Amino acid sequence: MLFSSVGFLFRFLPIFMIIYLAFPGYRNLILLLGSLIFYGVGEPYFVLLLLLSVLINYGFSRYMFWEPRSPQTDRKKKALRRRKMTLTAAITFDLAVLFLFKYWDFAAGSVNALAGKTICPLLSLALPLGISFYTFQMLSYLIDLYRGTEKRSAGFLSFATYVCMFPQLIAGPIVRYGEVSARMAGRRVRIRDIENGFKLFTLGLGLKVLLANQIGTLWNLIMTAGAGRLHMLVAWLGAFAYSFQLYFDFWGYSAMAMGLGKMLGFSIPRNFDNPYVARSVSEFWRRWHMTLGSWFREYVYFPLGGSRMGRMKTVRNLFIVWALTGLWHGADWNFVLWGVVLFLLIALEKTGFGKWLENSRVVGHIYLLLLIPATWVIFAITDMGQLAGYMGNLAGYHREEILVGTTQLLRYLKEYGALLIACVIFATPLPGKAYWKWKDRWFVVLPLFGVFWWAVYEIVTGSNNPFLYFRF
Amino acid sequence: MNKNAIRNFVEIIYNCPLVLLVLITSLVVIPMSDEINFFDMNKKIPAVHMMDGKNPVLPGKNNSTDEIILADKTEPDTVQATEGLYTQKEEERKELLENAGECKEENDSLENGGKLNIESVNSQKAVNSAKDRHGTTKFVAYTPVSTDSRYYSDAGKVALTTDYEYALKNESYFNDAAFLGDSRTLGISDYAGLSGADFFCDNGMTIYKLFEDDGVTYQKTGEKVDLKQILQEKRYGKIYIMLGMNELGYGNTLMYMKQYLKVIQQIKEWQPGVTIYIMANLHVSREKDNTDTEFNNININDKNVASARLANGRDIFYLDCNPLFTDAQGYLQEELTFDGVHLYAQHYDKWRDFLYAHCVEREEGETAAMRQEGSGNGTDAAQ
Repeated sequence: MLFSSVGFLFRFLPIFMIIYLAFPGYRNLILLLGSLIFYGVGEPYFVLLLLLSVLINYGFSRYMFWEPRSPQTDRKKKALRRRKMTLTAAITFDLAVLFLFKYWDFAAGSVNALAGKTICPLLSLALPLGISFYTFQMLSYLIDLYRGTEKRSAGFLSFATYVCMFPQLIAGPIVRYGEVSARMAGRRVRIRDIENGFKLFTLGLGLKVLLANQIGTLWNLIMTAGAGRLHMLVAWLGAFAYSFQLYFDFWGYSAMAMGLGKMLGFSIPRNFDNPYVARSVSEFWRRWHMTLGSWFREYVYFPLGGSRMGRMKTVRNLFIVWALTGLWHGADWNFVLWGVVLFLLIALEKTGFGKWLENSRVVGHIYLLLLIPATWVIFAITDMGQLAGYMGNLAGYHREEILVGTTQLLRYLKEYGALLIACVIFATPLPGKAYWKWKDRWFVVLPLFGVFWWAVYEIVTGSNNPFLYFRF
Repeated sequence: MNKNAIRNFVEIIYNCPLVLLVLITSLVVIPMSDEINFFDMNKKIPAVHMMDGKNPVLPGKNNSTDEIILADKTEPDTVQATEGLYTQKEEERKELLENAGECKEENDSLENGGKLNIESVNSQKAVNSAKDRHGTTKFVAYTPVSTDSRYYSDAGKVALTTDYEYALKNESYFNDAAFLGDSRTLGISDYAGLSGADFFCDNGMTIYKLFEDDGVTYQKTGEKVDLKQILQEKRYGKIYIMLGMNELGYGNTLMYMKQYLKVIQQIKEWQPGVTIYIMANLHVSREKDNTDTEFNNININDKNVASARLANGRDIFYLDCNPLFTDAQGYLQEELTFDGVHLYAQHYDKWRDFLYAHCVEREEGETAAMRQEGSGNGTDAAQ
């Protein structure tokens, strides 16, 4: 089920909230069951995989601290070894499941292509919704437990609720157990929390439905025309449109998750901090999908030694982190390439260039606003031939004659001008600042009310005419 | 009443205006709306990964009060028919030609239920006296699958391009042509290089919206124009129509066909002697084809067959370019499209060549006679 669907807004959410508020004593159980229904409606089979994963990981977490009777002497040593073994087994299991569903076909396909014949069969498994997110969450819990960051292992209900809770189940933010553990034990939902959470949810809904989905049609239009034969300006317009789409889609979703979390009495961490006002790629990635960045920093970069082991090791560590970040986003070579490009840019910035950029007033912004959309193009286009064509177009290079030129550019600008301006405004920190300052005032509440119904209208007409999104 | 209770109540209202506003309006809207059907949980809601930014395609009911039910909605078999949409074609072609035949025969079955009178379109064929050089539109039958959509049913047949001795022409043939259509026609306008033709098309255009006041964009100027007025004032030699995609989730196929017929009759009244080409809607890719919603090739084919029935082979022709772009199962080939719906710009030249190869050359006397039948105030254009 998606947040931006009639089923969620008018069936699931109201019914769930009523039950949730009516039985304060059973909130974790209600939340867990509700989340499983939420997930199961869209993924009737993979909900079993989710449950199984949760059960097995819970088993690991208990076994880690299970202490059998043994002679006093080597008890400590044994316990330590057991912890290490359990963690290794858990990580292996989780990554194996993730690999099987997400990366098998990609890996097998690459091996087959290298060998020139079929060595590994392709499985064509569907990707379970949110598997990358919930796997990372379970891993973070187990690692925290092993390290002692989490002092005591959680009860099954708390653990399962933490992994499955629907606000963050399918697309993050990646919450760490420590961030919600206090609220797991018991939480109060005040009427103001519901109101404020719902406001944030509505804001996110608006970003997703009214900005991301709409500007996405422009990207679609340009890609439909065909990469490789675009006028340079059209190519850039497409890159910006896609950058906006991705941002509002994901930020909107994260805002909805935060809002829902608030309505349930949690405080879900922030995932975006106005990334497009950054002045360097490193800074951008400290502001974009922040929970994923901190996950990789905490569980990959720092354990490898971070930047404290000399220049060569730092470069190696950066490379590993960014190659993995690329792969995390999708199983295809363009994602690897995307990760490597980001690595190169960030490694370059580490030489001091980044500091200089971040202190500059204008150059940093221009640098970022040209580079990031270009990296998003790599992110967006899976086909290497098309990607090369599009990158060429961005640089003004054409191997074949231009098919989409200034005539179409003018039409696109005429059709999407107002929307583009709205996107630019919402990519600045101003709307966020205004929201946090005046969120209780009528001149914010009334527009939000309008946004809610406008978004619902768009969702509903999109269902009646399923092509509103595409607009043939 | 207890003072405290009142105070609490007021506090709640003061503290959560948005939630209350939405709740109250929801209570008003939900009973009124057919779309937000609170109890209709039957249809599965497809879950799409958020990152790809796709709008979910939700089940929804149409507000349409039109009670028409498709005439040929008989008991369908449960055989998977899409698989054989095109593969069956070759084997069954010969034996089925008799039952399928030209559009006139096809109409008989339709008239029973739909009370649709196609004769009015064909009435002008009496004018065509000189030669009986008319084409036929053939249909190839296959076993239909059962569908439970209110928008369409499986037509159980595929319409083929009207059989006719088409002439091969070049760009100049299109100098007095008009194209009416949706975003795919916009693609032809942008990328096929038929600069002489007039294109009246918009994203999201439908057969129902075509004749609305200022309803469609004239691509040469980029302005919204009133097509009714233009068709009455300017004379065209041929008019190409391709509409049906945005109608997939609106009304039903019979309603679509009736409206199509109305549009064609109207055009013939305003443009006597004009040749009308009904272009088949291009199928979608396997990835986009979704039988859980209205958005699938069975529905598209249903619309195409309906429009093909209007072709009489004299001045109305049906052109199916699907074989150019689809695979053996009738899916749009993945490598030709980004979104599974629209062709890449570079492939429109194949479409153009197809149009070049399917030009109808009408006898001078034939068109002149037809023109006299109508108002006859135009002089040049038609060659």
